[in-house]
Amino acid sequence: MDERFSGVGAWILYAITTAMMIFIMAPLLLVMAVSVSDSYFVTFPPQGFTLKWYLKVLQDRDFIDAMRLSILLALGTTAGSLLFGVPAAFALVRGNFPGIAAIKGFLLSPLIFPALVTGLALLQVLSKLGSQDARLNLLIGHIVVTSPYVIRTVVTSLQLVDENLEDAARTLGAGRLRTFWRVTLPQIASGVAAGGLFAFMVSFDNYPVTMWLANSEYSPVPLVLMRQLVNVFDPSVPAMSTIIILMALVGVLLLEKLVGLRRALAA
Amino acid sequence: MTTSDAAVALSDSAARQGSRWRPQLSAGYLAIPMLVFLAYFFFYPAIGLLFSSIQTQNSKGIIGPPFTLAHYARLIDVDLYARVFWNTLRISVITSLLATVLAYPVALVMVKSRPMVTRIITLIVIAPLIVSVVVRGYGWQLILANGPKGMLNWILMTLHIVDAPVAILYTEKAVIIGSLHVFFPMMVLPLASALGKIDPNLEDAARMLGAPWWKVFLRVTLPLSMPGFVAGFTLVFSLTAGSFVIPAILGGASAIMLGNLIEQQIFVVYDWPFGAAIALVLVGVVFAVNGFSMWLLEGRRLRRAT
Repeated sequence: MDERFSGVGAWILYAITTAMMIFIMAPLLLVMAVSVSDSYFVTFPPQGFTLKWYLKVLQDRDFIDAMRLSILLALGTTAGSLLFGVPAAFALVRGNFPGIAAIKGFLLSPLIFPALVTGLALLQVLSKLGSQDARLNLLIGHIVVTSPYVIRTVVTSLQLVDENLEDAARTLGAGRLRTFWRVTLPQIASGVAAGGLFAFMVSFDNYPVTMWLANSEYSPVPLVLMRQLVNVFDPSVPAMSTIIILMALVGVLLLEKLVGLRRALAA
Repeated sequence: MTTSDAAVALSDSAARQGSRWRPQLSAGYLAIPMLVFLAYFFFYPAIGLLFSSIQTQNSKGIIGPPFTLAHYARLIDVDLYARVFWNTLRISVITSLLATVLAYPVALVMVKSRPMVTRIITLIVIAPLIVSVVVRGYGWQLILANGPKGMLNWILMTLHIVDAPVAILYTEKAVIIGSLHVFFPMMVLPLASALGKIDPNLEDAARMLGAPWWKVFLRVTLPLSMPGFVAGFTLVFSLTAGSFVIPAILGGASAIMLGNLIEQQIFVVYDWPFGAAIALVLVGVVFAVNGFSMWLLEGRRLRRAT
């Protein structure tokens, strides 16, 4: 396949790589396979073929409510983290003030802080404040954990922007806002979109912050799924899971189209 | 007006604008909303948690003085809690080591294959990252299920490798397998980016001078990819140590981790100071590992290859 690999070494490399690809795919493929099983319990090997579990899931009030909540929450989180994150990224790249490295470290610190603890700490403050609305609390918590992703992707794409173009626009008499809107934004659009998509997906899947801030009335999808996992043993659980897998797949393909996966994640 | 005159006029006006409007300084203000938001909803809560962990909770559930370190002492003194702490460290270290050993070949193939192969491997490695951890844990629950209904047991028994079903689910092994699956991409990606930056001529030179493939790997590729390894190890370790979902789904009662203990203390026992103390121990462990890896990266001048 490649002149760099040859002999025994190559065989070992390819064998391990193939095994890992199977390891990665196996649980997801199994979940999908079981979701169409025509049996009343989840068993292996799956039996027959039916879509009735999907029908059951789509009529499940709890799941539909959770789906609606999760999507709205993820949309709100995306908007919020872009609103806070894009200007902050701009400041980090274009700003020239003392302590900029420390501020960058501070803005990105939720990334290395265990999310579980972030959520717990936030719960304590919000309940002291008497903030009872789980939806608002979830939104705040999700923006805390997603904004560093937005800042990171937007910083990377801002660093690639040719500042001469901005100078040219300013020289030719365009105002600051106009320059940003017409010159800078088009150049960082894919980075902003990737950051936003990232925020959406992180929010949609988030568990460690959500588990503290949700309540019985407002439970996002991961929490509802976790509850079903313990209480329900028919293939409607894999059917729900398959719906989530397919949504993630759409997200991945979008991200790959927008900026390329490696770049989006390694940024 | 000649062209050069126009150019002078233009640069003149640019200079004037530059002095009237300082782009560097004013751009900095744009970070303020984010800073205020994070200060209030991230930094301040974290400090609050730190204070709760060294105070006392009265019978009404109100936390206040006297200050004490008793909650931290309890984590060490009570055998059950100390065991959870060591379990967490052990599971995180084993998961990170396994991830390293298995990620090297994948990252190597990813970096050095044809674009098409690279693309497929990247997609397979990254795609599961975006699938909910609950779903992935559930998938492993189905594979590892104890009894003949589990996929692994069904395969093993059908092939007559074992006669009776093996019990992996609800053990530490299951938690390690699940964590490896969830955090594997976090090891592959930094490794691949470090490997991609190695000058191929160095390896070619070693090969031409007669070094066998394993010697080229050990003496050239491995040392040069250390920054990726350190970054990946730190990430996988930190994330595994702070996990809740995977041990909850796959570990059951026998492989509880710090995250599960915190949840128990807050939601079941309502012991906020103790829950906060455990949380801060977790933060301490994660910070220590992150600090150590930063020191490694800077101290050993591994930076240039990242």
